[in-house]
Amino acid sequence: MNATALPDARPEAAAGHLPRDGALAITGWGTVCSLAIGAEEFSAAVTEGRSGLRDVTGMFEDEDLPAAEACAMPDFRVRDHLGRKGTSFFDRSTSLALVGCSLALDDTDLAVGDDNRERVGIVLGTTAGSIRATGEYSRETLVQDRPYLVNPMLFPNTVMNCAAGQAAIRHRLKGVNATVAGGQLAGLSALRYARNLIRRDYADALLVGSVEEFSPHTAWGTHHLYAADDGRAPVGEGSAVFVVEDAAAVHRAGRLPDAEVLAVEVGTYAPADGRPEAGDRGRPGAAEGLATCIARALERAGAAPSEVWAVASGESGVEHRDAVERRGIEAALGTAAERLRVKRSTGECHSASGSLQIAALLGRHRIDPALDGRLSVVTSCSPDGAVGAAVLRGWHRARRDHRG
Amino acid sequence: MGRRVVITGLGPISSIGTGVGAFGPALRAGRSGISPISSFDASGFPHFMAGEVADFDPKALLRTVSPADWGRTSLFAAAAARLAVEDSGMDPEELSRSRAGSSIGTTSGESQVVERLTAEWVDRGLTGLTPELVRQVPASRLANAVNQELGLTGEAVTLSTACSASNYALGYAYDQIHTGDADYMIAGGADSVCRWAHAGFYRLGALTKEACSPFDKDRSGILTGEGGAALFLETLESATARGAHIYAEVLGYGLNCDANHMVAPDPVSIAECMRRAHHNAGIEPSDVDYICAHGTGTPANDAMESRAVIEVFGEEPPPMSSIKSMLGHTMGAASGFGAIASALAIDQGWLPPTVNHRTQDPELALIDPVPNESRPARPRVVQNHGFAFGGNNAITILGRVA
Repeated sequence: MNATALPDARPEAAAGHLPRDGALAITGWGTVCSLAIGAEEFSAAVTEGRSGLRDVTGMFEDEDLPAAEACAMPDFRVRDHLGRKGTSFFDRSTSLALVGCSLALDDTDLAVGDDNRERVGIVLGTTAGSIRATGEYSRETLVQDRPYLVNPMLFPNTVMNCAAGQAAIRHRLKGVNATVAGGQLAGLSALRYARNLIRRDYADALLVGSVEEFSPHTAWGTHHLYAADDGRAPVGEGSAVFVVEDAAAVHRAGRLPDAEVLAVEVGTYAPADGRPEAGDRGRPGAAEGLATCIARALERAGAAPSEVWAVASGESGVEHRDAVERRGIEAALGTAAERLRVKRSTGECHSASGSLQIAALLGRHRIDPALDGRLSVVTSCSPDGAVGAAVLRGWHRARRDHRG
Repeated sequence: MGRRVVITGLGPISSIGTGVGAFGPALRAGRSGISPISSFDASGFPHFMAGEVADFDPKALLRTVSPADWGRTSLFAAAAARLAVEDSGMDPEELSRSRAGSSIGTTSGESQVVERLTAEWVDRGLTGLTPELVRQVPASRLANAVNQELGLTGEAVTLSTACSASNYALGYAYDQIHTGDADYMIAGGADSVCRWAHAGFYRLGALTKEACSPFDKDRSGILTGEGGAALFLETLESATARGAHIYAEVLGYGLNCDANHMVAPDPVSIAECMRRAHHNAGIEPSDVDYICAHGTGTPANDAMESRAVIEVFGEEPPPMSSIKSMLGHTMGAASGFGAIASALAIDQGWLPPTVNHRTQDPELALIDPVPNESRPARPRVVQNHGFAFGGNNAITILGRVA
């Protein structure tokens, strides 16, 4: 069945659309990845089905790579985007995240100033921070003449909240600042953490997203784990950051969001990878768990499975993992909805993946008024048994310009 | 009105004792957990002391997960969680059938795994990395290990906001139960002593030689430490219904960000964080009977922390001690140990001391650090501090159930 032929879609006129209780609004966003930098370009690239695969030979002077191509950005330099001032010590994860934050702030109609910077914060997802920066720091303690001859200026790069802390400094955002180490679930976990901050009135607006850098370390690490899966997505890198606010507040202000986040549900089940733990007797597997999360998210959203026009999944071409995700999606939603396998375009961006999946859905909405008001689902599964699903509702961007 | 949230189980795995039965008396006695580093070759370092958990025995503590499959920090988290559940008296089978999850804080995640991979990189290049170690790198595995150990199907979230992360985790767990999203949560934090952090703090000039002496005139820095700290949280209603021992109630918390400097603390911002925590907990500064300090023992931290306390509390702030004088700086677990100490203070009626105290700092004349010996007291409301790189401030407020 074609997505546009789904029977229960109810596009609602945005001006008259009253957000559901507890919904979040996304009022602007940005991406940094080999597919595209910035929401406009990313929307076009996703809609046209472009590939972000690039030649990466020679990207790193002192290390070989396991593959000649990756979804990485050999020419990305943070100073080209943010200038030289204050950026020279940034690791790559911090750089990707900060450019993502800047793009998101440029894309929103939210004004951040002295009257609200105490109430605007940041929630970023990661796997383990900049693994390269940490590994290189650790390496210095082994290869220097004295083990303590490390550079103190680089020490903050070894902590996982470096990107969020630096982004707060750059944009002077004094609201809640959090980092969620979610791995494959990082995008959804960051969004779920943000949802709690907004509903509990700890923040008015948040930059929410996730980031992963490409390095010889992540390339080889992924290679060692999944070398046998020759159909898998190439390793990638990137960030996607969303400006998230309370949907009701945005509505009251007469502003039009790009999307609403109606629910984010997560859970932990018997892992898809590795041997089952002794305690797994009778515990549901990850596929069943994902179906449960999707169903719970739809219930929170007040929506039926038939209303979902698309599912942006985390499928990556690693067959035994994809099988789990596929079974979960099909058990909850059937096979009618369009499937966006975003990693085919962006590569396997680990902790940035969930956010790039959300961005792919927003990208389709951004330039296609026919999808206005329709519901979509994002799914993520980790190798360790963590699963999650979010329900979104999106609109096209140009409607903002025709307001009133 | 949301649901009231109480702490009914404590799970400390620390350099001064494993399990609340060992940890509590050691803390009260002011025992030091500092010893020469054994987890890595520290012979090339001028400073070589840390708060390692030398007797950590995951096999003896864990019932479900296989220690061989997980890094040290995940094992700290899972074993601490197991201890907290045992301490709570909650039936583990019923727990795994309930709406239950975990939120775990950390600074460096699986740092020892990363260091083993680094050694492989140096020895044989990136082509020679052991896949099983690569699999253990993601820090998400800390909370995941907790849920896998206890068979929990709810959320497992690892918050990596560095040295205030346990307070973030405790606050989030509180919200999950308060709002009805979960019925039981494990909250806490875990970190492992590692070579790169030891080197980094040394080069920052923030690592002292032998003894950490917060609020002392001659304090000269931190010692790194490690461990796992877990607290079992449920509603007041469920704790009462099952006749559980209640250590303390979680009254609320506050978070904010300096947005100013990655490393240097900001007293104005810390004071604001206190006000947020008080507002969220529905208390006034005069309600606070004891502050479990961040108290790292660096000249800058203790001065800035004290300045912020005086700004909020005035000339007569409540006693404020630092358990880092005994444990060292356990990084992402630090405010988790602080929360456990705070719960014990409320439950058992004593304030933990700041050990290694010799000379009161005249600049901190208004601060009572509970020097060297624990003190009998009946604190009703306790404020637990956690500050971090990145300006990530987090303060939790615990109280006696009234």
